[in-house]
Amino acid sequence: MELLLFNIFNGLIIGMFYALMALGLSLILGLNGIINFSHGAFLALGGYIAYSLTPVIGFWGALIVSPFAVGLIGLLAERVLIRPLYGRDPLFSLLLTFGLAMIMQDLIRTFWGATGLPFTIPDTLSHPLSQVYFFVTGYRVFLVVLSLFATASLFALLRFTRVGVRIRAGNADLETVSALGINIYRLRAINFAVGILFAGLAGVLAAGRLGLTPTMGASLLMPSFVAIIVGGVGSLLGSMLGGIIIGVAAGIVTTYYPAASDVVIYLIMAVVLVVRPRGLLGQEGLLE
Amino acid sequence: MSILDDIHISRRTLLKSGAALGATSLMYPAMSAFAKSESPIKIGLIDPQTGTYAGTGGNEILGAQFAVDEINRKGGVMSRPIQLLIEDSAASVGQSVQKAHKLVNRNKVHFLMGAVSSAVALALAQAAEQMNTLYMDTGGHADAVTGTQCRWNTFRTCSTTWLLTAGDFQTIFDKYGKNWYFITPDYAFGHSLHTDYVAQLKKAGGKELGNALAPLGTTDFSSYLIKAKSANPDALLVLTSGNDQINTLKQATQFGLNKDMGIGGPMMEMEVLEGLPDAARYGYWNMEWYWNQPNTPHVMDFVDRYKKAHNNKVPTARSWFGYASVYALALATEQAKSLDTMKVVKALEGLELPPEIALQPHKTFYRASDHQLIGSEFPGQVKTGGVYPDLFEVADIVDASKIARSAEQKGCSISYPS
Repeated sequence: MELLLFNIFNGLIIGMFYALMALGLSLILGLNGIINFSHGAFLALGGYIAYSLTPVIGFWGALIVSPFAVGLIGLLAERVLIRPLYGRDPLFSLLLTFGLAMIMQDLIRTFWGATGLPFTIPDTLSHPLSQVYFFVTGYRVFLVVLSLFATASLFALLRFTRVGVRIRAGNADLETVSALGINIYRLRAINFAVGILFAGLAGVLAAGRLGLTPTMGASLLMPSFVAIIVGGVGSLLGSMLGGIIIGVAAGIVTTYYPAASDVVIYLIMAVVLVVRPRGLLGQEGLLE
Repeated sequence: MSILDDIHISRRTLLKSGAALGATSLMYPAMSAFAKSESPIKIGLIDPQTGTYAGTGGNEILGAQFAVDEINRKGGVMSRPIQLLIEDSAASVGQSVQKAHKLVNRNKVHFLMGAVSSAVALALAQAAEQMNTLYMDTGGHADAVTGTQCRWNTFRTCSTTWLLTAGDFQTIFDKYGKNWYFITPDYAFGHSLHTDYVAQLKKAGGKELGNALAPLGTTDFSSYLIKAKSANPDALLVLTSGNDQINTLKQATQFGLNKDMGIGGPMMEMEVLEGLPDAARYGYWNMEWYWNQPNTPHVMDFVDRYKKAHNNKVPTARSWFGYASVYALALATEQAKSLDTMKVVKALEGLELPPEIALQPHKTFYRASDHQLIGSEFPGQVKTGGVYPDLFEVADIVDASKIARSAEQKGCSISYPS
């Protein structure tokens, strides 16, 4: 019973991390209409940039600078590669981002090497907080708090700023927003960059938890897509909920039958797709 | 199909792609002058350059290339140069077998070598046998490759999982205690390691408290570690490798598990140690080859040569696998005076590597009965606070022939084509 409780807690922590990734993906899927397969590669890039920055500006500096650096690269990628594909079949951008992911992964391998690199987190964060709940380490608490903070900031941005309101409006009806004289290209660029910034942040956090390898993003990407589908395409709150649900579900299954802990999240996805195709909090009609 | 119908490739696009393709083929390094006069002996090397095992696979390739360069500088084999044709396996069985067919049928390679994943090694051995080609497994460890699934055409340079576990079983048992918990990657390699350890543990009177099977490529090991901790073992045996091993150890350290139980395992690699933060570098492990052997002749010289050619990076066990495998093929070909598969196989059987290639103190030879290289194991302790490349303290260099099981015990009897 204690084991189950541990795994549920643990699942919550992991789920928060998936949620962070899913939020970025969901944002981009919403306004840009792009299924961003390169999200994992941007995540890895965030981790690697932080690794290179740490000796210069320390962990805390890297934690702040790296996501913005990745966001800027995202902005560039949007302008050069993705913008020409708006209005085309979603398959085009899907293939493009898929290819981009592979190119980025190879670039990372070229610059930083194929062998894993150690990313050291500050000592203050690297110890368990309690003897009994040994899996609640300072770093993991920090990860959850920061994820919550980032999520709250995003919601505040979308609710209380002009850009945020426009992004939400664009999600609802892009043509009307455009007709009202708002530069939707700039809006989409900003939106894409913010989504990628989230990937970069997730990357720095993942590097501290897992260590750096060029493929680190790929294995985290699929659960995040599942989180979006479960939570509901088009709903940010849903994406977060989806992340937490699959994290906890994987945790519970691990207690009883670890071999199925990977399968269970896809089972949940399948059930959701059959019973409620729009996802738990999703809008009707989006990608159904 | 409606989406694809909309794609029109214009003549201009086609021309452009054609030009691009032409340009890339120019970028491949031309063969050396020496290769023009004599047709080269071709070795097809299939190793992961992308994916989870890219780091270890990359070092096998570097080692193999280093050997090829050395051999060609010294005049080649039967006065012919060796040419290495490298293909990416991405540690995927399907892709590897496809590349093997391509290398043999289209590129007409004489030998195949490579593999990091045991699953790939088993598949390549089979594919090579069907094509009547010699296959040298460089780095896939599962017992079966030279055990129950041994083949007349297949040889192996890296250790069996049995040798890995037997290398440090006694040390871990003595230092940590008799109640063990395992974290095992859920495929051929992991299962093989687990079976081998448990056999020795039972015999020694120890007890297995549990075994958590983690799929290959797992990133988050926290739930497995929670189970391990609740079982309260004396020793936690980490059977994962590559990036999975880094993730396991990093998280176990963050959870403070290394303060409650001894952590160790059958296989530690330089590539893994490089990827670990210092806090996660500890425990008793087994290495298959190590660069720091002050008492073994030729090793220092090899390490210096290798470092000079590789940006001051020391050779790892993986580099040595690639290096020794190429030399073994070259020596056997030279001895057979032929490229005929069966003749080279016969020459490899029992072939002893000369000390400047073996680079270890004990007799190093390809055993005729199962085609397994029998050499040395390097059990020892990871140095906490070590600075690259001084990360491991070899406690003892074990003669593998003293701990290896015989071909019969492994379930191998080789049948040759008539």
